[in-house]
Amino acid sequence: MALLAGLLAQPARAEFHVFACEPEWAALVRAWLPEADITTATHYLQDPHYIEARPSLIAKLRRADLAVCTGASLEAGWLPTLLQRAANPAIQVGRPGLFLAAEQVELRDAHRPVDRSMGDVHPEGNPHVHLAPDRLPRIAEALMERLRQLRPDLSSQLFVRYLRWRGAWNQQREVWRQAAERLRGHSVVVQHGSFRYLLDWLGVEAVLDLEPKPGLPPSAAHLQQLLAAPELGPADAILVASHQDPRPAQWLSEQTGKPVRVLPGTVTDDAATDTLAELISTIVAALLDPSGEGAVDQP
Amino acid sequence: MDVLPKRGGGQRRAAVMPPRSFTRALIPLVVLAAPEVQGDALNPDVSVTLDGYYKQEDTALSHRDKGFGLGHTELTLSAPIDDLFSGRLTTVYEEHEGESEVQVEEAYLQTNGLPASLSVRAGRFLSQVGYLNGRHLHEDDFVERPAAYRALLGSHYYDDGVRLNALLPTPFFWQVGAEVFSGASLSEGDEELGVFTLNTRVGGDLSVSQSWQLGLSYLRNRNAGVVEEDHDEEGEEHEHSHAASYTGRNLYIADAVWKWAPNGNAREQQLTLSGEYLYADDLNRYATSDDTHEGWYLSGVYRFAPQWSAGLRYGEVDLRQAHDDHFHDQSLDETEVMLAWSHSHFSTLRLQYTHQDGNGFDNADDTVTVQYVMSLGAHGAHGF
Repeated sequence: MALLAGLLAQPARAEFHVFACEPEWAALVRAWLPEADITTATHYLQDPHYIEARPSLIAKLRRADLAVCTGASLEAGWLPTLLQRAANPAIQVGRPGLFLAAEQVELRDAHRPVDRSMGDVHPEGNPHVHLAPDRLPRIAEALMERLRQLRPDLSSQLFVRYLRWRGAWNQQREVWRQAAERLRGHSVVVQHGSFRYLLDWLGVEAVLDLEPKPGLPPSAAHLQQLLAAPELGPADAILVASHQDPRPAQWLSEQTGKPVRVLPGTVTDDAATDTLAELISTIVAALLDPSGEGAVDQP
Repeated sequence: MDVLPKRGGGQRRAAVMPPRSFTRALIPLVVLAAPEVQGDALNPDVSVTLDGYYKQEDTALSHRDKGFGLGHTELTLSAPIDDLFSGRLTTVYEEHEGESEVQVEEAYLQTNGLPASLSVRAGRFLSQVGYLNGRHLHEDDFVERPAAYRALLGSHYYDDGVRLNALLPTPFFWQVGAEVFSGASLSEGDEELGVFTLNTRVGGDLSVSQSWQLGLSYLRNRNAGVVEEDHDEEGEEHEHSHAASYTGRNLYIADAVWKWAPNGNAREQQLTLSGEYLYADDLNRYATSDDTHEGWYLSGVYRFAPQWSAGLRYGEVDLRQAHDDHFHDQSLDETEVMLAWSHSHFSTLRLQYTHQDGNGFDNADDTVTVQYVMSLGAHGAHGF
């Protein structure tokens, strides 16, 4: 019985466990609290809409002190099951242990009337907000404040680390802004709204989408329509995320000669793209050099 | 927004409805809530599952009659109740032998985040024994549950009771749980606490692409095998029963599931292998140790493209049908092959061929079934 009680007792704050639904949030937490034990539920080769509520994730979420997720229904197919099965009081909806990034900022395409004939659209808006150069600092600040609330003992360190991160971000953003001057008015073909915030910020128009409707895989009929679309002509490249099937984009590329750029939709384990700023820089570089002669893409 | 007054109106109407007509009260709620399917702070999530089929022939131990029919048509309301409880109500419309019925299949409260990783569910809910039983029928990959489930659990066993689950503080997933039920929906009998169950599950990842789960369950049915008096099967008040046709005082279930997706990206491709073994004994007071029910199945489903999946399932069940003080042997082998197309995450069309070899069943037959399963409104999260 004593053994059982010992097992059940939470270990004293020796470790701070963070469960990040997507790698971008893990990267932020790692920047300010590298000593935390951080679990990432998904990686850049996985579509975050379609994750299994696996037993291993339940076990990880059970001991989390903080869960950082996107929200806005991105994880609607799996996070509610995980939260319920993990039965962890610290991270239930409404508690400080659950941080939802999309709730910190206004989302694109929010609150428009939606129904499912339009595809798998999120009524809350486009959830892929981690690539928004102006919105991300607001999310970052809120996340930092949440960490300080949960770890008051590290409050000043967290704040200093955040300021350093913020300074670096602002510097990077100036570089991207200069790139945006050159990119403004350009257009690309996309698959899903994964890069939408960044493209908007850069002034690059996503003129065509390989998905016939959000969340539906590209169909042959839809690709034929795209082939005939007048917007296709001026588009610089076809942009797909690493977790997506590249074949529809490759087919369109073969028909049109447009280059395909396969880019990670989120941070990776690769040193070149393991922070959000590096990831955005990589995407910006790919847009500046759409034929990809000077760069090597992620697999 | 202009939906706000409507929403309030819907709730007032629901509140003044007498309880008996609550299913009718749900219909205006669905209509009014339709513009805001995700629900908000005050409005529950509403979801509807439409399940219809055409089946060529009648088959043994089946809950679906031949011809056109409606399967498991569900209306579900769910929402957090406050910061401690959430609740869910599922009503099911089904047709059996020309009779329509509306059943309350789930009406439960669930705790959110009790201390020590404990969770409690109370009310009417699906028992968590086995792999399939706790899942909703619309999540299934085949038209019907395996024959062993149809015989021993009435396809899916739900009842009124209480569940207590605990997650053990291990680095891997290990859950233990117990349930107590009235038992009335499994067997009729005098015991008020007719059924209790014990269940444990472990699981984890083998690699980024593979994950697994194993489960063991025990179901004690204290009302099983009460030798029935000559009750009037033909009586008018005899309703269609969802109770299991074959019971034993002890039911043991072992289950295993393994899933594979390249890089763990289940969006593009996924292979799911699952299997269960069910064993029931102590059938009634005339039963010897040789009188047992036994069944198993193995299922493989491969989603080879985001919209397409194909599956093969083979299962057997060996049963002892009680006749007063003796038993008759019955057995059924079933092979099912299916192909399913899901245009979106919310719509599925399924074509299935079922081959049955029966012994002691006069309606064992082969059949082709075409089925649709459509999901409207809020889309709940699925389990592993």
